[in-house]
Formats: sequence, structure tokens, C-alpha cells
Amino acid sequence: MNPIKIALAQIACIRADKNKNIDKMKSFVEEARKKDAKLVIFPELSLTGYVLRDLLYEIAELVPGPSVKKIAEIARENGLYIVFGMPEKSEKAESVIYNTAVLVGPEGYIGKYRKMYLPTHSAFEEKRYFRPGYGTPVFKTELGKIGLMICYDTFFPEVSRALKLRGAQIIICISASPAVRRNFFETLIAARAIENNTFVIYVNLVGIEEGLQFWGGSRIISPSGSIIKKAKYDKEDLVVGEIDLDDIKHVAAFVPTIRDLRPELYEQLKREAETI
Amino acid sequence: MKLTPEVLKLNWEATAERIKQFIKDYVEKISAKGVVLGISGGVDSSTAAAISALALGGDKVLGLIMPEEETYNPKDIEDAKLVAKKFGIKTETIDISKILKAFYSSIPAFNSKEKVSKGNIKARTRMICIYYYANTQKRVVIGSSDKSETMMGYFTKWGDVAADISPLMDLYKTQVRKLALHIGVPKEIAMKPSTPALWPGHLAEKELGIKYETLDLILFGLERFMPPEKIAEQLSLSVETVNKVKERWLANEHKRRMPLTVKLQYRTVGTDFRIPRTK
Repeated sequence: MNPIKIALAQIACIRADKNKNIDKMKSFVEEARKKDAKLVIFPELSLTGYVLRDLLYEIAELVPGPSVKKIAEIARENGLYIVFGMPEKSEKAESVIYNTAVLVGPEGYIGKYRKMYLPTHSAFEEKRYFRPGYGTPVFKTELGKIGLMICYDTFFPEVSRALKLRGAQIIICISASPAVRRNFFETLIAARAIENNTFVIYVNLVGIEEGLQFWGGSRIISPSGSIIKKAKYDKEDLVVGEIDLDDIKHVAAFVPTIRDLRPELYEQLKREAETI
Repeated sequence: MKLTPEVLKLNWEATAERIKQFIKDYVEKISAKGVVLGISGGVDSSTAAAISALALGGDKVLGLIMPEEETYNPKDIEDAKLVAKKFGIKTETIDISKILKAFYSSIPAFNSKEKVSKGNIKARTRMICIYYYANTQKRVVIGSSDKSETMMGYFTKWGDVAADISPLMDLYKTQVRKLALHIGVPKEIAMKPSTPALWPGHLAEKELGIKYETLDLILFGLERFMPPEKIAEQLSLSVETVNKVKERWLANEHKRRMPLTVKLQYRTVGTDFRIPRTK
């Protein structure tokens, strides 16, 4: 395969103002296209901002829905793929909201991932508002097989492992991580890449919301764990890095974690986890 | 975890940068014209004023020096002016003595022997003056409270703690001193004994009955859920000393909250009316 250029669109959001955030996304996408990016990735809840509390009930939308349509149109106009985050309301039940990552492309809406692990500790209160997701879909695109996950999912190797076992070559993690947690992510993001022989692309929010200072530091990690491209800390940034999916093959021969997988351990883990 | 002064170490450069960003972001988002705060010549207000000036430029910071007869101390005023000059901060001096006398003579139940209640009038009078400037000049009120005082409830409710933002509130007193030195607050001010100046000779460590170096480590342990027995053992203190700090911390929760109300309806202010600040 040919190398793919990927843009990390590390933005600060205007909270609860979807139109202004879409305008910002549009300008970042146009800039990324000029740099030949084929995929542009925005942070977690980048459509709305992260700390929304009760406003979530008013601001969540269907996926696909009006905002997805607008962003898909930006993808179509620019001939590239976009990943972004938004609060998604259930089409089946009232006041059921998910923290969702959405993938759109030149052909329109492609798919979504609903955050499985919702942090509800320290300054986080996601379980108060969101229902966790139950699936780990992988999307086959002309760029390769893409799996999505969100922020705190990174702390649970099961999510990225499930994506890998479904064939993901590129795992995209969108995030809204505040500065006090930077060290954790800088370690774990690389670990998820190494243990799964995949590219991991991490895109974090910047800006300050209710005293939470999001640290940025978005990055593309190679399957061997090295940083291919990294954005600034704490400030808005747009950087473009290149990945070559052919690199997965030789890394997986050098560190064959999937060949060495032990399925019987999962049964044991399940039993143990049920009795913590 | 071992409770030594090491645990209170932070990356002061990064911490200063975060606090500056926080102040700048808040002031810009609400389109305020600047900030205002009371400056006493003590470490907390000097640090809050200095870091505000570093964040916004000194010309955007107004420091109010508010002496009163009973606790008048020319050295403190000199120190406040020294910090203001160093960081290019504008100052205005308001002698609040006359206002205080009007309060004392107007309150039928006033008793000058109730020195804490009398001192609280001083702190609240300063708050009124600060908010007058904030309202008329579209300024954000910067609070100077630190984490040690806030956890201990060692402040006047609706008085010195009243502010729009409190950039130092997540730093213990001894950490504020380190930050002060890092950003260039003169050493004699950074290391000066802390005083709320509510009455003559009023010293924080004397009133609290403990040195900040010790108090901060106790509070650090409590913050991390350490049992008092373990904290006492590590710091070679009596369990009673640690328990007294813990009790005072918990007993003062009412000073750190919106007024409690009874839940009567769907969403209630201070309980489950959970609205972010979007403007």
C-alpha cells in the first residue's frame, strides 16, 4: 500500500456551540487537505466541547443526524476522511446519550464507536450522563481498516485488543485528557500500539473547560511504539504525519503478540473479573 | 507513600504556566477588561497579583491596598507597593477605617470583644470594595486563597475568600511560597509569616497552632485518604494533632459551598442543577 498522510487536528472547542465548532473543523480540514492529508482527526466531543453537564440532554444528536451530515459534507468537499467526537442520543430511547466517535468519508457517513469505559472519578462524571457502548466495530476504508476508541478506553487493553482481533490496522483514539493525566496517556498510548502491532493515532483536546486544562500532545505512534509525529502541548495545532501499513508486517514478525495470544486466559480473566 | 517535603514538589515552571493560562483564558472568555484583587503585602496576595500580571500584563491588574487603623502596618503597605512596582501593577489605597467604624457604631449587638466577628467585618468590607471596582470597571476578582487555608476553613466566609476565580486554591501554603520565589516575588515577602490581620499581632501559625510545613503534609496525607494514625506516625506527631486538623477540615465544609437548601423540585441550585460556564 502507499503511505497515508494523516492530520491531527488538535483544537479547543467553544462549548455548546456546534456551528462555531463545525466552522473551526472546516478550516482545519481545508488546511489539512492543502498538506495532502487523507484523514483528519479531531478530539473527543469536539463538536460540542467536553464539560457540558446538563446541557448534554439538549445538545445530543442522532448519529447520523444534522451535524454528522454537515461534517460529512466537509469530508466530501475535501475528498478525505474525518473522525470527530460528539454526544449521541439514542434513536430508540429518550434521554439515553452516548459519548461517540464518528467516521465520515468522501462517500458520507461510515460508522461510529460508542465509548465503552466512562470515567466517573476525580473530576470526571461521564457515567452520570452517558450509557456505555457495547461494540468494537472496525471500518474497512480505502485507507485501511480503522478502529475507533475514546480516551479512558486506553486504560483497558481489552478495547484495542478487540479492535485488533477484528482486523484493525489503524486504531484512532480521540481524547479529552486534562494535564494531570498526561504521563499515563503518554505511556499507555505507546503500549497499545506495541502490544497490538498497530498504528495508534491519539488526538487530544486543548483549551480550558471548568478548570480542566487539556494538554494536547496528539501523536501518531508506529506499531513498534515510536512517535512518528507529535503536536504541541497545550496549544491548538495541526500536524500531518505519514504512515505505511506495510510496516505492520515486519514489526509483527519481530514482536508477534497476536501469534502468541492465549485464548484460554480470557475465560480465566472473565471468572476472576466477576469476583473482584 | 512517605510524607516528606519532597511530595509537595511540583514543576514550578509548568505550574506557573498553567495558572497563567487559566487566568488569561477566563478573562478573555468573558471579555473582562482586567482583574482586581486586594493586596496586603503577604505571600498569597503578592503571588496572586504577580502571576495575574505575568498572565495579562501589569496594566490589566489593579491591586487595592486596604489598611485600617487597628492593624495598620506600614511595612505591609510598603511590601504591597514593592510587589506592585516590580510587576507593573496599578494600585489604589482605600483606608477602610471609617467604613468599619460606621459598621461598629450601627450594629446594635456589636461587641468589640468578639474579635473574630469584628475581624470578619474587616474582611467583608474589603470584599465590598473589591467588588465595587470589579463591577464598575468590568474586572474579574482574583482570589488569593491557598489550599491550606481553604481546607482548614481559615478564612472569612464571603470575605477574603470571595472571588470570581482563585488561581492558587489548589496549592498548599508552602507550595505558594515556592511558586512565589519562582516567579520573582521578593524572598522576604515569599517567606514572610502569614497573617489574616484581623486584629493586632494576628499570626496564622500561632492561631492554627501548627507550622505550615507540618500542616501541609498532614493535609496532603488526608487529601490522599491516608488514615490519621499513619500520618501521625510518619510525621512523628500525636494522632490527636492529626485528628484535630482532620476535624477542622471536615467541620468547615459549609464555608466551601453554595448555601444548602432543601430539595423541593426537579433540579435544585447547588445540588443537581449542573450547568457548565459557557460564557
